[in-house]
Amino acid sequence: MLDGMFATTHSVALVGVQARRVSVEAHVGGGEKGRLSLVGLPDKAVREAKDRVMAAMAVSGFRFPARSVTVNLAPADLPKSGSAYDLPIALALLAAAGEIPDAACRVLALGELALDGSIRPARGGLAAAVTAVGMDVPCLLPSGCASETAIVPAADTRVVNSLPEAIAAAQGKTVTRPPAPPSAPRADVPDMAEVRGQLLARRALEVAAAGGHHLLMTGPPGVGKTMLARCLPGILPPLDEHSALEVAQVWSAAGRPRSCLSLPPIRAPHHSASRAAILGGGSGIPTPGELSMAHRGVLFLDELGEFPPHLLDGLRQPLEEGTVTIARKGATVAFPAAAQLVAAANPCPCGYRDDRRKPCGCTERMVERYQRRLSGPLMDRFDIRIKVPRVEADAMVGPPGEPSREVAGRVGAACKLQDGRGMRNRDLGRSDLDRMRMEPGARSLAEEALRSGVLTGRGFDRVRRLSRTIADLAEEETVREPHLAEALALRGA
Amino acid sequence: MRAAERVREAWVQLAHVGMHPLRLREVVDKAGGSPVATLAAIVRGQVQVPEAARRAAQVPASRRLRELEEAGLELLLEGDPGFPQELRDIPEAPLFLFRRGAAPGPGVKAVAIVGTRTCTSYGKRLAEQYGEAISRSGWSVISGLARGIDAAAHRGSLCGPTPGTAVLGSGVDVWYPRANAPLGEKLLERGGTVWSESPPGTPPLGWRFPPRNRIISALSRVVVIVEAAVTGGALITARTALAQGREVCATPGDVTRDSSVGCNQLIRDGALPVHDPDDLVETLRLLLGEPAPASGGGGGAETLVEMDDFLAGLDPDPAAALAELGRMQARGEATVEDGMVRCRGTAR
Repeated sequence: MLDGMFATTHSVALVGVQARRVSVEAHVGGGEKGRLSLVGLPDKAVREAKDRVMAAMAVSGFRFPARSVTVNLAPADLPKSGSAYDLPIALALLAAAGEIPDAACRVLALGELALDGSIRPARGGLAAAVTAVGMDVPCLLPSGCASETAIVPAADTRVVNSLPEAIAAAQGKTVTRPPAPPSAPRADVPDMAEVRGQLLARRALEVAAAGGHHLLMTGPPGVGKTMLARCLPGILPPLDEHSALEVAQVWSAAGRPRSCLSLPPIRAPHHSASRAAILGGGSGIPTPGELSMAHRGVLFLDELGEFPPHLLDGLRQPLEEGTVTIARKGATVAFPAAAQLVAAANPCPCGYRDDRRKPCGCTERMVERYQRRLSGPLMDRFDIRIKVPRVEADAMVGPPGEPSREVAGRVGAACKLQDGRGMRNRDLGRSDLDRMRMEPGARSLAEEALRSGVLTGRGFDRVRRLSRTIADLAEEETVREPHLAEALALRGA
Repeated sequence: MRAAERVREAWVQLAHVGMHPLRLREVVDKAGGSPVATLAAIVRGQVQVPEAARRAAQVPASRRLRELEEAGLELLLEGDPGFPQELRDIPEAPLFLFRRGAAPGPGVKAVAIVGTRTCTSYGKRLAEQYGEAISRSGWSVISGLARGIDAAAHRGSLCGPTPGTAVLGSGVDVWYPRANAPLGEKLLERGGTVWSESPPGTPPLGWRFPPRNRIISALSRVVVIVEAAVTGGALITARTALAQGREVCATPGDVTRDSSVGCNQLIRDGALPVHDPDDLVETLRLLLGEPAPASGGGGGAETLVEMDDFLAGLDPDPAAALAELGRMQARGEATVEDGMVRCRGTAR
């Protein structure tokens, strides 16, 4: 006993969406002080673990060693934050004190201890499970964040809800597996059959889905812009295993487990959201923002004109590169950000400018000022810009539109063609477009539009990208004249 | 003969000085109505004008006339055959006018549409509809090519066959606001006329606009006010119209809105209320008689159609309908604005 006793257990620290292994070492040394010191760059929340761990141990019937105790979180130079280290600290400490066998320490654990010994969920459960697989150890997770690990079939995840349960589970005495994720996921995605009329908008949505093109819809409030945007995940092809894991890891890092893993996500931040909330960031270790949570899915910005311009400018580069990089004093992290942008805007401050039924009280000058706010570099990224008018009453009671299932079929086929070429049409650059196969009729129509000044050089690229997608929807290899003509109309002003 | 030529040359030189029209009249009257004497007084500095204006007065008439000819502009003096008849019998009539574009068709009566620059979409739409209805009926639409109601009226008039007329405060070769330059060019292209009292190149200075308004009202038989606040150019035009014996019509508006107060006040004071384009045309028929047969300046009237109706009319398959719209856009036959399709010819 004079040499003291030592034990190690494992946990993770999140850097971006990736996990880094953290060893939690506990040493119970000489002296009769009953003191606990915590080292290894812990932040305030980690430092407070001391008190929670001591209380939870006492309540669970364990005696805190009456000697000096040191807990080290290694590597010591990696900043650690949050309350998720409570559980591994408690396990290492109990093993070092000889209260539980050393075998109970050979796990990767994550969880915040309550004073009564129960365990609360923590961020990064999925990343922990992935790391545990790599280390070939069991992973102990509280029930709130265990279900998200279902996407990693190789993981030996054990659900633990209290300190005694954790000790039992770590030794393999009682093992509870995480429940399978609920399987009625698409209920909250509206079906396109519910969209009446709106022929232009329906087609625009289909083309946007097929090519991943960013879409801007302008129209008065209440005409169904939000509804249309919410339909989009339902017609996008389901996420493959790799993409689903990417998305799930981002959500896990944000502390938000996903319910349906294969459904492309949709996020709709309010225009009052901060830069950090949308692009990612926050104090200490950066957390993913709404943009990253919309990775491989849809970022819907309603009332685009109300978003601060600097925030919209900040979106441009990440959307182009597919990642958002956040530089902090300690570390620079990159979150994935390959989202499809769908935006809705009112035509004027009050919103009723194009509306036939409600009067608009805005003066021309107010409208001009409002629309000027909507110009700028981000606007060039919208390949499709359409007006969404109010649907007349007779169309509202008309037959339902084509259901999402059928649209999704065409979109899926078009996406497969693009996968074959190895690139989404949204990302086609000028050199790709110059190599694109185009019928002479389509070429001469484009030249006519360029000559008459209807089309600018930049607009020409947008139109060619769209025409490629429209040809993909028709499952044709060569862009023909009707495809280019339709692209001209969808491009919008 | 020599003397008459000398007088004419003096007028050409005076026209390029760019003085306030009413002040110039005063100065000419003081000089006994002689332009030669007026010019001499200006050059000698007996009339207080800016140095630049004094220098401008010294440029010989022959050079001025050559410049005008090169720019394709016309200077018409009071008494010249092309000088608008309607301007001769009004108080404070202009002494000369610069013209750009075609001479107005003989016997075509004109109707002015004016209103606030800070209009609402209600006023804008009405002005467009009025402009179209007037032009279709065979009358010419006159306005000031300003922002707001003026621009909407001109835009609407392009949907009809009768060429329109714009009267500017700046020089006839200076479009103001810049945003309306394409509209002005289109008006000229379609056989319209642009008038101004200011010499070519004159920037749009604020004081040049109120005197311009008296020409708008004088050139027209009826002045229609669409949205006007209590202050502002539109009510000045209404006042000059009454002083010149022109009829004034106004569109009633929301009594609580600033931009309607002027119109409502005019109606209370006896202006003819007009409600919709048909009502306006009927009123105009009573006031002006049957219009002259459309002189059809540039031809090719335009129509505005709701996007959904337009697509539905083209093809039942939305993709095919959109493709057709795209083709029309490429050929410049259709444009999309404010959620509507503007196309040449009649709607299909």
